[in-house]
Amino acid sequence: MAARATVERYRPDWRQGRVISWATTTDHKRIGILYIATSLVFFAAGGILALLMRAQLAQANEHFITRESYNELFTIHGTTMIFLVVVPIFAGFANYLVPLMIGARDVAFPRLNAMSYWLFLFGGITLYLSFFAKYGASRSGWYGYPPLSDSFFSPGNGQDLWILSLHLLSISSLVGAINFLATIHNMRAPGMSWMRIPLFVWSIEIYAALLVLVLPVLSVGLTLLLLDRQAGTHFFIPQNGGNAILYQHFFWFFGHPEVYIMILPAMGIISEVLPVFSRKPIFGYKAIAFSTVAIGFYSMLVWAHHMFSVGLPNFLNVFFMLSSMVIAVPTGVKIFNWLATTWRGNLIFDTAMLWALGFIAVFTVGGLSGIFLAAFPVDWQVTDTYYVVAHMHYVLFGGSVFGIFAGLYYWWPKIFGRMLGERLGKAHFWLVFLGFNLTFFPQHMLGLLGMPRRIFTYQEHGLFQAYNLLSTIGSGVMALGILLFVVNVIRTSRAGVRAVNDPWLADTLEWYTTSPPPPHNFETLPYITSARPVRDLRRRLAEAGRA
Amino acid sequence: MPPPVRRKTIVLVLVLGAVLALASVAHAGNGGFAPLTPHSPNARRINDSYVWISIFAGGIFVLVEGTLLWFVVRYRRRGRPRTVEGPQIHGATRLELIWTGIPVLILAAIASFVFYKLPGIQDVPAAKAEGGPLRIQVNAHQFYWQFTYPDGSISIDELHAPVNRTVRVDITSQDVDHSWWVPELGGKFDAIPGHRTHTWFKADQLGTYRGRCGEFCGVFHAEMKAVVDVQTRAEYTAWLSSAASDLGRSEWQGACAKCHGPQGEGGYGPKISNNALLTQAQGLEQLIRNGRNKMPPVARGWSDEQVRSLVAYLKQKVYKGTSSGG
Repeated sequence: MAARATVERYRPDWRQGRVISWATTTDHKRIGILYIATSLVFFAAGGILALLMRAQLAQANEHFITRESYNELFTIHGTTMIFLVVVPIFAGFANYLVPLMIGARDVAFPRLNAMSYWLFLFGGITLYLSFFAKYGASRSGWYGYPPLSDSFFSPGNGQDLWILSLHLLSISSLVGAINFLATIHNMRAPGMSWMRIPLFVWSIEIYAALLVLVLPVLSVGLTLLLLDRQAGTHFFIPQNGGNAILYQHFFWFFGHPEVYIMILPAMGIISEVLPVFSRKPIFGYKAIAFSTVAIGFYSMLVWAHHMFSVGLPNFLNVFFMLSSMVIAVPTGVKIFNWLATTWRGNLIFDTAMLWALGFIAVFTVGGLSGIFLAAFPVDWQVTDTYYVVAHMHYVLFGGSVFGIFAGLYYWWPKIFGRMLGERLGKAHFWLVFLGFNLTFFPQHMLGLLGMPRRIFTYQEHGLFQAYNLLSTIGSGVMALGILLFVVNVIRTSRAGVRAVNDPWLADTLEWYTTSPPPPHNFETLPYITSARPVRDLRRRLAEAGRA
Repeated sequence: MPPPVRRKTIVLVLVLGAVLALASVAHAGNGGFAPLTPHSPNARRINDSYVWISIFAGGIFVLVEGTLLWFVVRYRRRGRPRTVEGPQIHGATRLELIWTGIPVLILAAIASFVFYKLPGIQDVPAAKAEGGPLRIQVNAHQFYWQFTYPDGSISIDELHAPVNRTVRVDITSQDVDHSWWVPELGGKFDAIPGHRTHTWFKADQLGTYRGRCGEFCGVFHAEMKAVVDVQTRAEYTAWLSSAASDLGRSEWQGACAKCHGPQGEGGYGPKISNNALLTQAQGLEQLIRNGRNKMPPVARGWSDEQVRSLVAYLKQKVYKGTSSGG
């Protein structure tokens, strides 16, 4: 026991300063905070880009933004939200929580961990500096299909910087993912078998495994694109015998699992929050864990459903339609198990719980619209329209971002030692919930009315314009909600209520240590006998008190 | 302060009310709750599939959201302390198997229906009585559509087709990816350079059907529109015989005027009505075939005849003489 207290790392004087200590830190908790904070800054940046787009689309024949800038906006908005917000913020949560949840002192490779954060930061800065490149930032969409993205149709360096940025971010994610896998596989507390790790850790296990499996394929596609642009090759240039569709396969073999990389950790967060605020165990731990594995596996077999209109052979369309539908089954299992978790519970509507319940409500809509898109003849009508924009925001905003906010409200006391304000938190939730549905629900209708994606303006009036205006108003309401979150954070940091070790009476090991935890995380660890070690301890204490 | 649950219910009722109000207004004009009213058998069968899926999706939506709301109201806290736990139920294998199995059955029902409809959507009808389908080539360019008819006639951005006649369109692109989409006549098929896709339609009503590019293709993606003009057989034949005389004008409007303005007065692209290059056939041909800087190679793949028509039109109608100030 005495040996444990002296594990504090030696730090020379020059590393004691406030800034330098953060810049040189290898502590998983500090790196986690850096990740989360940086992602939130990029979230604000990407959100501003989205608000500008909605302003431009508020009414017909609007010329608030030039057509070229508009194309930069949606390219950088998409790239930001995917590569600089959702993926890295989950890396932040995983960094902070995985070692605490499995009772480890740090991640397996702390220095590699620091490297992966700094690569992320510089990758993001590279992307935003590309606005100042010759001809501006990339404007060929977040997927960068050639020939549009080749050097003939996209001259200038914006596209090259986009590739460089994605390369940096890919290395960052890859290194981080290997780190998480090594940590989860090797550093679990005594007694913590695979069926006793928290469901969030399960989701990070699959998140990391998918990143390791699919990111190299993206890197291949991007490298070939870069060679086409800069070295005179023509992998994707049809005029010289290249194949433009090949790039689409490379991109979506990464791109679809990426969707699950972005949703599985959010589902993991929901699986942590729901039972705690329902005062019940998760309904069907194994079903939820295995459905995570199943979704991860199937996610690598569905990529060409992004390519139904390309004119693939019929048997491929049929295969990818069926595989895409199969994914709905494990997803449905999760939703039904979550509902069953709340059944006969003592539901406590703290803000974290509101986000979790909101997640179920809106994610279901995104899941159902996905079935229409999986049926490829229907996809032929709705693909590349606002219907897809609606579907994918119901999944990525209503899913991932709602999950992220649930996680922030839930773990804020652990991370910063203060409780986020509940009143502001609830206002934040309701404004975003309302604004979200107002923004994205009418976009289903716009898509069916024939509005393609990525058009900078439209000429139609009437209902077409009304839905667009509604959507723009909704985006403003959402922005207001997010602003309340910022106010909440500032107020909490000044005058928030101090948090005890375990303010929510939760189940998992991170609540066993102090809020915030000491640098070495735990003084002692209990022997783990179930997936809910902290609840086990509380019960043992209560029984001892009674006896 | 009212308890949080009641506030939540009030807001939910408001949201539902707003959605219903919106729905009823919208429904009056099929305002986006189903794809546009179809005017071709393939589009109609896609709509049937859409409706079929909607039935199941709607049912599941009501089931999940209803259960969620019911549980939220029924099992809310009601002032119980946090320490009060619900029953410690860890799962129920039989129940979980049921809600794994039923979705499988639903998906099987959806897939079967779609596969039943698929041949009628995908396969071009043989149309033996009419001597096979009418074949029209669709060539996508930044930022216009070019249509080539069996007799070699060409039109730009306006596809002419006879009513009640099976038309097969073969689609490709000369530059970047585009996507051919006329919602009332069927789904999207990408125009990808180096590849050829096809679709078909058989319009059941005279009139014009609007289409637009469905795959982001660059700065003028929003303006890359097409019109399908469905005519009687006589009108169609008459149009074919006059198409050649109109080629220069339609090329100007589709390929040039979107950027350079209807009179060449400049817009996104520079003013060209006083540019002497318009009178230099060779230099002009070089420029429009290969593009330069921001100007795309609009005439890539054009026949000499096409280039001649445009050059003649530019000289006659667009060129206003070099301004003396220049």
